Amino acid sequence: MSAVLEVSHLRKAFGGVVAVDDVSFEVRDGEILGIIGPNGSGKSTLFNCVLGQLRPTGGEVRVDGRTTTGMRPCDLNRLGVSRTFQLLQVFPQLSVRDNMVLAGQEHQGSLVARLIGRADAGLGDAADRMIAFFNLAHLAAEPAGALSYGQQKLLDAAMAFMAGPRLVLLDEPAGGVNLTMLGHLRERLAAYHAERNATFVVIEHQMEFVMALCTRVLVLAEGRIIAEGAPQDIRRNAAVIEAYLGH
Amino acid sequence: MTPLGRLAAAFAAIVAVALPFLLKPFGIYLISMWAVLTVAAIGLNLTLGYAGQVSMAQGAFVGIGAYTVALLTQAGCPFALAFAAAGVLCFAIGWMLGYPALRVAHHYLAFVTLAFTTLVFLVLRNEEWLTGGTYGINGISRPVFFGLSTAKPLPFYFFCLGTLAVLSLATWWMLRSPWGRAFKGLRENPIRAQSLGTDTRRYTLMAFAIGAGLGGLSGALYAPLVQFIEPGSFALGLSFNLLLMVIVGGSGYFFGPFVGALIAVLLPEWMRVAEGYYLIVYAMLVMVMMAFCPSGLLGLVARIKAASRSNRAAPAPALRAEGAGS
Repeated sequence: MSAVLEVSHLRKAFGGVVAVDDVSFEVRDGEILGIIGPNGSGKSTLFNCVLGQLRPTGGEVRVDGRTTTGMRPCDLNRLGVSRTFQLLQVFPQLSVRDNMVLAGQEHQGSLVARLIGRADAGLGDAADRMIAFFNLAHLAAEPAGALSYGQQKLLDAAMAFMAGPRLVLLDEPAGGVNLTMLGHLRERLAAYHAERNATFVVIEHQMEFVMALCTRVLVLAEGRIIAEGAPQDIRRNAAVIEAYLGH
Repeated sequence: MTPLGRLAAAFAAIVAVALPFLLKPFGIYLISMWAVLTVAAIGLNLTLGYAGQVSMAQGAFVGIGAYTVALLTQAGCPFALAFAAAGVLCFAIGWMLGYPALRVAHHYLAFVTLAFTTLVFLVLRNEEWLTGGTYGINGISRPVFFGLSTAKPLPFYFFCLGTLAVLSLATWWMLRSPWGRAFKGLRENPIRAQSLGTDTRRYTLMAFAIGAGLGGLSGALYAPLVQFIEPGSFALGLSFNLLLMVIVGGSGYFFGPFVGALIAVLLPEWMRVAEGYYLIVYAMLVMVMMAFCPSGLLGLVARIKAASRSNRAAPAPALRAEGAGS
């Protein structure tokens, strides 16, 4: 299997604090890689470095073999790398449907074509399908800010999929979501993965969620990878229990 | 747009066309001023209301546009060319003014644009060889199109109204296109927008440039309307006034600038009876409005509509909640 994402010797320091310390890993085509670790272990910083929100202090990131270190998030996104954020990130005053169209429109044609072309950039049907896929069809016309937290979390995830990305990085998709919605979200993510053979990287605290969804798990502690393996092996790994699960 | 909104817009259009026939020249001058300032306010509404970038520089762009048209037409350049030059020049300067917005936001950006307005005022006042300094520029002529002169108030008003119609139609088209959605994304959540492929840098610069370009076109109408321009007209006061128009009308609402400009132009005239107190009354009205309805007059209309809708819809969920509880 080829690597969609390769991270080699990535390092990020904030002043004297090294948040990500010489991290290397690969994400293979079609897998769902979980990244777990205690708070402050550098998971989100790792994501932000991979996705261009932060500039790494050292190391390299490659997407499909192409070096993307330091690339702007919008350019990375157009290469087919998408993400969700740890804290909810929707466009509250736009309708659910407009949120979805906005999530895909910059991938449609040129800047000028988007100005003179159709108001929905030709994405209306695709947006409706994706909204229906995440069971939000009855809310399509509502402003995103009027949705419940769990529904916004679904919308947030749906937006990341709108442009048909090759690789999706999900930062704590289950954070703050109630159990019913959690099961629903996991089931939808799994369904999307099965349907499109997409590649996911998931940061998550909710262990059940990770164990049920992911095919491989990395454990991060104090900015370093301390373990890697199948979910059931990670559960038994002494170092992981020491660093994380034991608490 | 709702059917009621469409009806209101159609009614307003009829009034805009019929009204000048009932007015004396000064009245026509006032509604011409409304049309001219609405163009500038539409530009600022784009930058501020849709794209969320604070700008205190819109008055400066009106000034640059006005001086461009005055100087070029007096040098013998045809009006249409001077008009286009005013828009293009302000677009370019607005693009450059957008660069600070890539680094700073909110009140810091307000200060940057405030400084720019002061800078433009100083250039207009001090560079006498070009601008005539504090004496300004006199006797700016109104354009002639295909042998038809707009020198009289009525034809000039229709020229302003026609320009407003064309520019607002173009803006409406842009705002309903994916560009408008990208601008709103920039306002609501720039980090998320960027992670979804929106080139936030380019859209920020465009929001500034297009807004400034409209400011310049407004100035290009302002100069032949008043026929005498001087630096003081384009100092901070005008920028604040335009900001007030956008906010009082309803920032981020398409028709907000139309309403805001109408109030800003007419209110001082209606309150002449209050003589010296009119600014005090005006200021108090603005304060009351900002306290109770920060989303402007059209925001107030939207709120009333939402309230009446949820009142009508209320009984059903209440019944459901009771059912679930028992």
